[in-house]
Amino acid sequence: MRTKLAIVIAGVGLLLSAAPGWAHHAFAAEFDSSKPVKLRGVVTKMEWINPHAWIHIDVKNEDGTVTSWMIEGGSPNTLLRNGFTKYSLPVGTEIVVDGYQAKDSTNKANGRHITFPDGRKLFVGSAGQGAAPDSK
Amino acid sequence: MNHRLLLFLLATPLLFGQANLEGIWSNAIVTPLERPADLADKQTLTAEEAAAFAKQAVDRRNADHRGASNEADVALAYNNFWFDRGTKTVSTRRTSLIVDPADGHIPALTPQAENLVAEKRAWMEEHATDGPEGRNLQERCLLWVTAGPPMLPGPYNNNFQIVQTHDVVVIVNEMIHDVRMIPLDGGPHLPDNIRLWRGDPRGHWEGKTLVVDTTNFSDQYSLRGSDRNLHLTERFTPVSPDTLLYEFTVDDPTAFTKPWTAQIPVSRTKGPIFEYACHEGNYAMTDILAGARAAEKKNPR
Repeated sequence: MRTKLAIVIAGVGLLLSAAPGWAHHAFAAEFDSSKPVKLRGVVTKMEWINPHAWIHIDVKNEDGTVTSWMIEGGSPNTLLRNGFTKYSLPVGTEIVVDGYQAKDSTNKANGRHITFPDGRKLFVGSAGQGAAPDSK
Repeated sequence: MNHRLLLFLLATPLLFGQANLEGIWSNAIVTPLERPADLADKQTLTAEEAAAFAKQAVDRRNADHRGASNEADVALAYNNFWFDRGTKTVSTRRTSLIVDPADGHIPALTPQAENLVAEKRAWMEEHATDGPEGRNLQERCLLWVTAGPPMLPGPYNNNFQIVQTHDVVVIVNEMIHDVRMIPLDGGPHLPDNIRLWRGDPRGHWEGKTLVVDTTNFSDQYSLRGSDRNLHLTERFTPVSPDTLLYEFTVDDPTAFTKPWTAQIPVSRTKGPIFEYACHEGNYAMTDILAGARAAEKKNPR
């Protein structure tokens, strides 16, 4: 039976992997479309890792407590190629994240749309052109 | 004759007595593998049409456009700044990368291959969140659909580096982590019972063209329905100082009703290429499975 399974698994990876957004994995399998979240928080860390970078933020709640969230992005290679570095989004930078919470209900979300509070986009253009927003 | 062309002609035959393919190359382009339905009768675009086609493709794929529903939106993953897609069509302005058959489409699968594909698909659907084995090879960081071989344009990391010695050509693909060592010693392929994720490549020179012949693909590798009998022939030909013509032919008589061939002119690009190291932080795998376990707890089967 195990042999049969091994054979049957064969190659499906390459048949089913063309997810609409063409991320490395199916975001719809990881995040819950019925749990949209909008978070405003400050960056505490950015994990500059593959296949997807993760931005850690602290979100202040109305009662003064703080909730930490992890926000999934894409491959950092594109940012590197455009001249950005792990210092381009410094700790303390405030960002607004529009996304969907993880299906396991932990404080993780995809960064479906991330901006600065004034609506400007992150990582615009090329850092070489001085366009890295807020990179001091 | 301009300076670069002269350098190219002089340099071409000088690396270990063979054409010099070394460098970092990009295949970031918008031309699809198969011809779009609305261009069914059109093999080549005019310069104006190609520009319009590229503009539309860039806009259509701009991930900053939100999905029409939450379901569609979450599947679009993240902002456009993470992507690094091509912005132009191939320089030939063809409407598909596939040049043979002439209709620009992958030939029909054989009934046997159709059955195999359906069987695999059904198994995957049934076991989608049982464990990592139910996820596709890309999510498992084993193979990326566009990294191949054959190499095709994808959403980002569309770069590869060629390094040559007298007896081996090495291709490092930025997507995922693939390093292909292609021996040029004229030796035979591995025995049939030895199967590799990306097959067993053997190279030889035909004039200034590097021809790479790959067989012995793993049962777990499938290119658009190909099976273990896949025989892939890739051809790398320098056609200008900054352009390499990359062609590949897929021959798999048990899977496809006829062979098919694609052509992609790839462009020299600035380095370096970056490590991808997909396993490094593949949190998504545990998140996907943890999500499924949480759902089961909520609604026990």
